[in-house]
Amino acid sequence: MAILSLQKVSKSYTAQGQTFQAVLPVSMEIETGGIHGIIGTSGAGKSTLLRLMNLLERPDEGSVFFEKRDLMRVSERELREARRSIGMIFQQFNLVHNRTVHGNVAAALELARTPKRDRDRRITEVLSFVGLEDKVRQYPAQLSGGQKQRVAIARAMASNPKLLLCDEPTSALDPQTTEELLNTLLHINRTLGVTIVIVTHEMEVVRQICTRVSVMEMGAVVDTFDLPKRSEERVRPNLSYREQILGLVHKEDAP
Amino acid sequence: MSIERIMEIWTQYQEQIWEAIGQTFYMVGMSTVAAVILGIPLGTLIFVTRPGGMLENRAASVLLNTLVNVIRSFPFLLLVVFMFPLTRMIVGTTIGTTAATIPLAVVAIAGYSRLVEQALVEVPRGVIEAARSMGASRLEIVWKFLYVEARSGLVLGLTTSIVSFISYSTVVGIVGGGGVGDFAIRYGYQRFEMDVTICMIVLMVLLVQIVQVVGSTISRKIDKR
Repeated sequence: MAILSLQKVSKSYTAQGQTFQAVLPVSMEIETGGIHGIIGTSGAGKSTLLRLMNLLERPDEGSVFFEKRDLMRVSERELREARRSIGMIFQQFNLVHNRTVHGNVAAALELARTPKRDRDRRITEVLSFVGLEDKVRQYPAQLSGGQKQRVAIARAMASNPKLLLCDEPTSALDPQTTEELLNTLLHINRTLGVTIVIVTHEMEVVRQICTRVSVMEMGAVVDTFDLPKRSEERVRPNLSYREQILGLVHKEDAP
Repeated sequence: MSIERIMEIWTQYQEQIWEAIGQTFYMVGMSTVAAVILGIPLGTLIFVTRPGGMLENRAASVLLNTLVNVIRSFPFLLLVVFMFPLTRMIVGTTIGTTAATIPLAVVAIAGYSRLVEQALVEVPRGVIEAARSMGASRLEIVWKFLYVEARSGLVLGLTTSIVSFISYSTVVGIVGGGGVGDFAIRYGYQRFEMDVTICMIVLMVLLVQIVQVVGSTISRKIDKR
């Protein structure tokens, strides 16, 4: 079953009299419980396609069904409610730098109208889920890139979304941190059953966590296919640089 | 100028100087309140109606920008005179400290709204995008995200504005606004007591310094970016 389904959505921009077709009419099903990768070079329209899913960008045409409801046809208030069931994280994290880690997650709960008395408990819950319970009083500027992205994940997860949209979540991170973050996403998918859509230009990201992948080129989805099922220990434990480099060299050497 | 002379000026004019300081504080204070209460919403409106903004509206954008630009380009003294009818409508007279506050407040609102707009432009677009993705309404985006992220710029802009209000407040002596600047002109300049004028200028310089230091410090303290 599909939690989200795009039907012939397209998006074009007009700048200085020039029209640019960012996304050609695309139809796509996001299966419930899976991790759907969208891969392609920069400028292929992947990030725009992702933004059509929660209507951060309104499609020129087509329908966006989220849990059977066409978001193109609901009121603004209903759209905002739907967005609380769709978390999103970004390449540049997009945290509020003048709010603490606690404050960033709290903002999401305020928007979700979570009663005040439940907020602190929920904040502790999501922050310990991403392993940052000791950073509550810190400001984002005091955190590393990986930690910032974890705060962003905690913020996105605070309102218990069913779907998590990830826009190049690891592109600003080093390989080691990328690995850890992918483990966190996998963990969210497996233990909480949250469906994930992840836009990336990194083949390795898709290889490691995706169950299905769509390839985009020049605004069109040119290929979609399933990735083979993998066992629980599919995600590698954190390897040292030495192991990673030697492992890679070894693999390339093999005939 | 000796310490004795300063003490002499002080004992001689103590009462008037206190009154002048009170008037300056009144005019600058009222203008600051006006700038905060009306300048912030106006600046926010200019920001959200701009092309590509959250409430993009070409007509409103052009109208508000033109209004603010016209007020800001008015030579202040002419604005004071030009606004007499409106001032009379609001306070019943065109003379006195309260009457002088009206044109001052108008300039304050227009000037600060521009600085508010600039502070809001500095907020990364991604923050707004994240807020929208969490289901924030436009009002929530402004309150819980834009103002929070732009707060040090808002404070710094207000500081710059207050400094210019102090300067403008000297001009309104012409309509009986009073204040430190007016005292310097009437008691110093017009009576050929240059040292009285100098004392008042020093007082205003000190006032501006204090405002600037306090403003910069607050702005730095609340900036966690």
